[in-house]
Amino acid sequence: MKRYVLRRVALAIPTLFLVSVIVFAMMRLMPGDVATRMVEGHAYAPTLAALRHDLGLDRPAYVQYGEWIGGIVLRGDFGNSYWTRQPILDEFVRRFPVTLELAALTIFVSVVIGIFVGIVSAVRQDTASDYIGRILAILALSVPYFGLAVLVVVLPSIYFKWTPVWTYIPITRDPLENLKIMIVPALVFGVTRAGPIMRIMRSSLLDVLRQEYIRTAWSKGLSERTIVLRHALKNAMIPVISLIGLQTPLYIGGSVIIEAIFRLPGVGLFFFEALTKLDYPVVQSVNLIIAAMVVGLNLLIDLSYAVLDPRIRYR
Amino acid sequence: MRFWTRASGIGRGAPALPTSSVGAAVAVAVARPSRTRPWYVDVWVQMLRRKPLGTIGGAIVVAMLAAAVLADLVTPYGFAQTSLPERFIAVNGAHWLGTDQLGRDLLTRLIYGARISLYVGFGAVLLGCVLATTIGVLSAYFGGRFDLWLQRGVDAWMAFPPLLLLMSIMSLLGPSVWNITAVLGVAFGIQNSRIVRGVALSIKEYTYVESARALGSGHVRITMGHILPNVLPTIIVVATTGLSTVILTEASLSFLGLGVPPPYPTWGGMLSLAGLDHMYQAPWLAIWPAVALSLAVFGFNMLGDALRDLLDPRLKGG
Repeated sequence: MKRYVLRRVALAIPTLFLVSVIVFAMMRLMPGDVATRMVEGHAYAPTLAALRHDLGLDRPAYVQYGEWIGGIVLRGDFGNSYWTRQPILDEFVRRFPVTLELAALTIFVSVVIGIFVGIVSAVRQDTASDYIGRILAILALSVPYFGLAVLVVVLPSIYFKWTPVWTYIPITRDPLENLKIMIVPALVFGVTRAGPIMRIMRSSLLDVLRQEYIRTAWSKGLSERTIVLRHALKNAMIPVISLIGLQTPLYIGGSVIIEAIFRLPGVGLFFFEALTKLDYPVVQSVNLIIAAMVVGLNLLIDLSYAVLDPRIRYR
Repeated sequence: MRFWTRASGIGRGAPALPTSSVGAAVAVAVARPSRTRPWYVDVWVQMLRRKPLGTIGGAIVVAMLAAAVLADLVTPYGFAQTSLPERFIAVNGAHWLGTDQLGRDLLTRLIYGARISLYVGFGAVLLGCVLATTIGVLSAYFGGRFDLWLQRGVDAWMAFPPLLLLMSIMSLLGPSVWNITAVLGVAFGIQNSRIVRGVALSIKEYTYVESARALGSGHVRITMGHILPNVLPTIIVVATTGLSTVILTEASLSFLGLGVPPPYPTWGGMLSLAGLDHMYQAPWLAIWPAVALSLAVFGFNMLGDALRDLLDPRLKGG
């Protein structure tokens, strides 16, 4: 087991290295010049050359890369924003709870809806409730979450005089008010993500319900409730959990759009604002941090499989 | 396409011995009732018979295609034709779905939007499939160090949440139809090269590949003549199921102002974040593009699912 863990961790290192190279190369090789915009539009420095020197853009790319990575690895310093000169990591840490809360609520909503509808659909296969469930899943798959979000922001304010709350209140100050703000975006996003979960839940539960040990449970005279919830569900959840793991990047990517529409001050909005201002260090470091989180998460998921299933360790 | 049917043994009805698991799967799934129709005709017949949702999806896709091709003929206005006196009309005889903040006809723009969506969607998927096939087949065929390093690169790429990466690249390149098509295509290609690689790996182990090598076939002949034809059904499946994702991604990027630049109408761009203020005055500006986008995604999803079931049952799920 120890060897397996070590090997998996060792394999993640070259991946992370390549991730950092991709991010850095992308930001440096592409056209688009922040310095010109900063000098001409906002007079950040007297001349272009002075600003470039100031930001360290006049040095060779490998020196810049070395400095960036060196700062991260040695000092935990992810660099500063070009525009505000503030440390990126501080801002990221300040905003991360918002994004994390949104993601957690979204996953919660989609999992609750997806699993519930999925179970009903599977247990009542080929009945009216099954068809309704499957149609709902297809609808959820088809409606783009940002389209739904725009409709939820616009329509109720016209017809019911209801608008989402625009001023953000941190969860630490008033959890209830905070939940009022977060629940609408999380519902919108979660409902559209429930589709795939429901479909996987249904097909995996149908698979499990046909197995021998379920027949044994039936012949022992157990109730349907016990069989489905205690015996079948546990095994049927495995593909559902790996799907949720696989979808985590989608939740993070989608949070950019959701945060922009509902004006939540999370990492997504931070990233989006940095993008529109061509703030390379921010875009670069946020990309890297999030990619590293995804790599770490995948590693954890793999390791947890290895704990659950001893066969995997010896492959 | 002669080499294809010969090598895969799909088109000639029942092959004496299935030449690969893909060939076998297609033969079993598609060629059962009819042993005379070529498989690419039979897929559609099966679709009409057994897949009602797939058929509806197909009909929507055909309607979209027709709208895209005939846009110039069926629309009475130009997509960028403004008319300030006619701003924010909800619905009337001249503007069936109303007009926007510049008095542009919404229906006209939706129809042209189908053209852009399909243009970007098909372009990106085509490019992506070529790339996915190249990476996947080469990585699987040569294996070893080459495969190991190439796959670490793919790993690294896949570590990014797709939307973040695409947003970063598009903000640097600047919005344009060509840029978004190319960027989506590359992303689609790298992502799906894994699936192609998996299938190519299993095909590589079949005895007919070995016998081809024993007969003295070179790398080019083996990959192009033997592996590629058997990967093709998988690629078709990847392409059809991927189209809805690509169209949706284009829409989300255009929504953020990072996709197709104005004045070209795209569904995502019409919903746009920047135009949110106008929608309070004219909610139909938000409703119709959202409906069009949902219909398109629904159509491609259903068509893709049905094609996947008929062409390659092994990829089922999700």
